[in-house]
Amino acid sequence: MDPYYLALTTINLAAIYGLLALGISIIWSSLGMINMAQGFTFAVSGYGAWLVAQHISTNGLAVVAGGVITGALAGALIGGIAFIPLYDKPNFPLRSLIATLAISLMGGQCLLWIFTPRVKALPKIFGIGNVHFGPVVASYDKIGSIVCSAILLLVTLAWMKSSRRGLEIRAMMQNPEGAALVGVGLRSTAMAVMMVTGAMAGLAAVLLSQNYFISPTAGVTPLVKGMVVALAGGLGSVAGALIAAILIGFIEAVTAVGLGGQYVLITQFLFIIAVLLVRPRGIAGMIEHTRE
Amino acid sequence: MTAPIDNTASTTALVGTRRLLPRLAGHGGVSWRRWRYPFTRRTPLLIETGYNPTTLATERRIVNPAPILWLIALAAIAVAPPVFGNSSFISAATTFALYAAINVIWMLTIGTAGIFSLASLATVGVGAFGAAYLSVYWGFPWWAMWMVGPVFGLIFGVLIAIPAIRLEGFYYALLTVGITELCRVYVIQSQKLGAAAYGLFGADGFVPKDMAERPGLIMGFYASFVVLLLALALYRAIDGQRLGRLLRAAPEKHEAFAEALGINYRAARIQVFLISSAALGGVGGFYATLLHGASPSLFTMDQLMLLLAMIVIGGIGRTEGAVLGTLIVVLFDKVFIGLGPARLVLIAGIMLATVLFTRGGLFGIPAQYRAWRGKRQTERRGQRSGKGGEVMPDEAMEIADKQSIVARRFDARVRAELKALITDALIEEHRTSANKRRSDALERVLTYFRRAAVADKYAVLAVKPFAEYRIVALSGRRGVPPRVVDDQVFTTPEAALHGVFLKRVSDLRDST
Repeated sequence: MDPYYLALTTINLAAIYGLLALGISIIWSSLGMINMAQGFTFAVSGYGAWLVAQHISTNGLAVVAGGVITGALAGALIGGIAFIPLYDKPNFPLRSLIATLAISLMGGQCLLWIFTPRVKALPKIFGIGNVHFGPVVASYDKIGSIVCSAILLLVTLAWMKSSRRGLEIRAMMQNPEGAALVGVGLRSTAMAVMMVTGAMAGLAAVLLSQNYFISPTAGVTPLVKGMVVALAGGLGSVAGALIAAILIGFIEAVTAVGLGGQYVLITQFLFIIAVLLVRPRGIAGMIEHTRE
Repeated sequence: MTAPIDNTASTTALVGTRRLLPRLAGHGGVSWRRWRYPFTRRTPLLIETGYNPTTLATERRIVNPAPILWLIALAAIAVAPPVFGNSSFISAATTFALYAAINVIWMLTIGTAGIFSLASLATVGVGAFGAAYLSVYWGFPWWAMWMVGPVFGLIFGVLIAIPAIRLEGFYYALLTVGITELCRVYVIQSQKLGAAAYGLFGADGFVPKDMAERPGLIMGFYASFVVLLLALALYRAIDGQRLGRLLRAAPEKHEAFAEALGINYRAARIQVFLISSAALGGVGGFYATLLHGASPSLFTMDQLMLLLAMIVIGGIGRTEGAVLGTLIVVLFDKVFIGLGPARLVLIAGIMLATVLFTRGGLFGIPAQYRAWRGKRQTERRGQRSGKGGEVMPDEAMEIADKQSIVARRFDARVRAELKALITDALIEEHRTSANKRRSDALERVLTYFRRAAVADKYAVLAVKPFAEYRIVALSGRRGVPPRVVDDQVFTTPEAALHGVFLKRVSDLRDST
């Protein structure tokens, strides 16, 4: 087993899972909503990027921008349908969960209807080839996806830390009622959160589509993985999501190399269940209910 | 000027808050009350006997008509498909009965046990694959498959119950979604479970092989219908009996209270969860004998969402909701198959609309409507109280003498009517007609003024008879003299009385 290959695969998977899990985690902690339509955002952004590649330009930057913008729009759509009308209604967490599931079902079927079940492939935006760093051999798309997602993650974290909107989002994560009382607009902040997380899912879609195909049901596996990574990290914790993404990416890499690809999900789930049995709120989650 | 208060609105609003119960003639409660469901103390139909308050005739009121409606609906479901439907309709009805059974049992997990598990279909799938595997590779006959289904369900239930001890709410829901996906990936990758053929088929079936197609379909439908009836009976036996009562005392966020009562709610939850898992596995075993195998589509996310749509549309936590939701979704999914992919979009649209506009699905609409109507009534009452004299509901609780509330409301209405009568002509008439016959309107106003309480009532004081008169206000208390109101001086009693009249009129106009 080549340790460098293992490390590289781990970082690559961790970056992509981190993008997915962070979105779900931020939405849960700031809006109190579990976004099951994140998979739909993922699939739609893949098609958005594909449309850009078909009709506008196959330039890497344009394709990535297409995916990110489509993701942000899809996020705004989900927020407009599932959060804005429901957030002050009774039984909001369950109803929004079901609403996002309905959006996911509806969107998946619409994609199937418009684009037919035939899979699409994105152009290789990072080109084909390998880079040698001493003993390490890395393909362009691996390097590209690691760099891209690291940039987006860092930009998002910096934005959350330093911008006024980020301050509002963090205020809402800590105490939604208090934030509303001191004048943080619940609706506008929610839409900002949805658009940012949608954009993250969009980027993840473009990056993952370098290795997989785009199809109407392509969002399911990333959704499930992002969700369980967020769960294992502790819903609502940014650091926890990143730690869990690295751990689960490592387990996936080790299992795929050591045991074989078909055991990946099983080992991942055993790990997650073990984590949750020891810490029911995830690695870095808080034990007490922070959101009621 | 305020408009006269429309008191017809308040009387019509009161009608309809009383429940309308179906009435039957004659006494009959005694004979009904003697009937029991076997081994329970439950009556089939709750009947109240009494006398009609108007006609004094004896009558029976059916307090809860649900059993009758259930009977009618189930009879219609049992009779309609084989009699009226073609083959595809009968197979759609079979699907409906099977999914309704799954949903009813799932309701035990979600509703009674309060464990938000989304792995119900996965449990069915495990039962189906287990039974099909034993039939294909070990040659189990159909009746043995029915028996091993619950065993597989129970084993799977024990496995997924381990995290349920520690996790709660959405954490568990998300984990079960993941477990379902894990099952799907495992099944489509496993050679022995039919990865190549997209499903494991070739299992034994309970429909005899030499049977013609239509009788075979009808037999399958009735077997599924029996499964549905068994599921309903199981729901009734768990939810309505001891376990259900224990858990009814321990709803979410009130567990500590139940624990203080000595209820081991965790054990009860796990027990219900395991029972429903075994039942779902049994449905899975039945499914395998019905379709001669199992397909991995049982584990797909879309199928899970359809199942969720079924219980959401009807209303989570009610068996009738589960059955109606299943009916609607299966109708769109299997009967209107000509709509193509649009039908799933339509189902998702119904699901979305239900969740956006209703609190508890279709069967929650009556309660939601009642709550809305109550809110509107309170609002209207609040608006009325702005028009003077009316008492706000919370203020009314503080007032011991409820008659005074009515009196204030009546007074406000009279004032509003009299204000409309007062004109310059009327005031002029009062000035000139001191000892003459007066008009009807003026008499009404004067009668109201005379009726006023003694405290603060205006009176005329003769300072010097036939020379100086002044207006005073009575104190209303013995021994306390009247106080002088202002420094106006009148020379005749008639002028003084008109002065009092003018004061009363201006007071009336100022009042709300």
